[in-house]
Amino acid sequence: MRLFFAQLGWELFRMFARKRTYIGFGIFLAVELLFWRMLTLEKAKEGMIQFTERLAGAESYFSGITIAFLMVFFTVMLLGATFVALVSGDIVAKETEDGNLRLLLARPISRLRLLAIKFLACQIYTTVLFWFVGLTALIVGILERGWGGGFFAWDPRFFALQPLGIYDWWEGIRRYFAAITGFSLLFLPITGIAFMLGCFKIKPAAATIITIAFITADFIFASIPLEAFEPYQHLFITSRMEAWLLILQQEIPWAKLVESAIWLVGIGLTGFIIGWVVFERRDVKS
Amino acid sequence: MLNVSELSKTFSRNAPKALDEVSFSVEKGEIYGLLGHNGAGKSTALGIMLGMVYPDSGDVSIGNVSIREDRCGALRKVGAIFEAPAFYGYLTGWRNLKVLTAFSGGVEKSRLLEVVEWVGLRDRIHDKVDTYSHGMRQRLALAQAMLPGPEILILDEPTDGLDPEGIVEFRDQLFELRDQFGVTILLSSHLLSEVEQVCDRVAILKGGRRVYEGSSRGLADDGIVIRLETDDFQKALEITETGFGGKKLRDDLLSVPLETDTADVLDTLVKAGVRLKQFVREEQSLERFYMDLSRKKGGEES
Repeated sequence: MRLFFAQLGWELFRMFARKRTYIGFGIFLAVELLFWRMLTLEKAKEGMIQFTERLAGAESYFSGITIAFLMVFFTVMLLGATFVALVSGDIVAKETEDGNLRLLLARPISRLRLLAIKFLACQIYTTVLFWFVGLTALIVGILERGWGGGFFAWDPRFFALQPLGIYDWWEGIRRYFAAITGFSLLFLPITGIAFMLGCFKIKPAAATIITIAFITADFIFASIPLEAFEPYQHLFITSRMEAWLLILQQEIPWAKLVESAIWLVGIGLTGFIIGWVVFERRDVKS
Repeated sequence: MLNVSELSKTFSRNAPKALDEVSFSVEKGEIYGLLGHNGAGKSTALGIMLGMVYPDSGDVSIGNVSIREDRCGALRKVGAIFEAPAFYGYLTGWRNLKVLTAFSGGVEKSRLLEVVEWVGLRDRIHDKVDTYSHGMRQRLALAQAMLPGPEILILDEPTDGLDPEGIVEFRDQLFELRDQFGVTILLSSHLLSEVEQVCDRVAILKGGRRVYEGSSRGLADDGIVIRLETDDFQKALEITETGFGGKKLRDDLLSVPLETDTADVLDTLVKAGVRLKQFVREEQSLERFYMDLSRKKGGEES
């Protein structure tokens, strides 16, 4: 087990030593700074304050955390999927194409172990990326609104609804980071699908593009505002991924949260298993 | 040490066989050459030996451990170098070695330093691999293969792309590995001259079939090949036949026994009044060796 973690450590070292790994970090930061700039526009700020007063009862709830939550909600869903798919689709397909994998496979290590290390590294990348986005969004929020105040969470797609939860500063921080951690875990299907495709004899870019196209299509179907589709919404991955918002509810509906988590983790692990079966049977040749 | 037994492999239904019941064995302490043109099946055979390619039938055992039954167990004794080894260019040589050896169970820092020193990379080991020349990458490849202390080294076209100095240096390192460290070496190549100089025994693959196995010295046993450009080839042939035991190979080619001094042949032809426009001692090429084999054996295994 110690050797497994040493190998995972070197895999992570290798991943984070590569410049392209940071493209996602840089783009998220740029989007957050753009978001900050928008919030400094007078009408946008006034509108947010009025909205906060109406829903949460006091301007103090339009705080650094509330701004950070808004940023995370709107940036992570689609941008996050793109970068997680990029890294997960690349990690096997690109190394096979470049020939790096042959150097590893010439060693006394099973293909399952090698893939498990790489899959785990992808999931750690996702968690680190989300924490980075959450942390930098919070810093931007605090720079804009200062330290302290309350946090009120709502589903930003439905401004007219009741808030999910209203918290003081420290409870807000706790819930905020718990939700971000949960959100990164709920991204497992995207990691799994991209990883699985990368295990086929396929170009790395193709693995990424197919994953993004699939997730975008899933998002479109899940968002069709027709009552007739409502009974089937729980079947869509992106619809299930919204379960991270449940962590922000005053009383967390654990049963609902766990159900969605099992669904999503199941899809992610199924992707990994299919990828492994395909890769195990493949000839790896220059 | 390494036993290859009746390996067959076809990559797709309509493709010709990449390997067709190929067998050979490499003894402990031997430098063994796997020779053949591009596409002859050398890389496929090496891929199977390293458990990267699955054979349709046959098996490879390394130190009596079957690669099909216990891939990890068999590879514990193996170090490998590939043609154009793909390292992580954005990492230093040192970090590359650390990453790769982690997947072999890890090695002590002192062992790393020792091997880096031995391959002559000490001064550049902390530079990024992207800045390395081809020769330096090849040395790094040798280092990563040596680090786990293998009993057998499998080398796929190890001198491809190296300059003459690099080739000589690499050849010396191979002898050192065998003589000082007792490492058994299997190397694939399409260069007959390289294999002749380095290997004790060879197997030659052609179209996925083994067409020869034996001493590498035997490759040139057919004699010295001389290309003549002259108005009277028949007269030149008669003189070399009677004086030196020569044989006609083609309308402009003849061969004389290995021990013949070609200067004597030239001198005799000139003195006999044969007008020579060209007299060239030709190197035995793999192509010609193949052709001779086919001619002599009708394409059958020898």
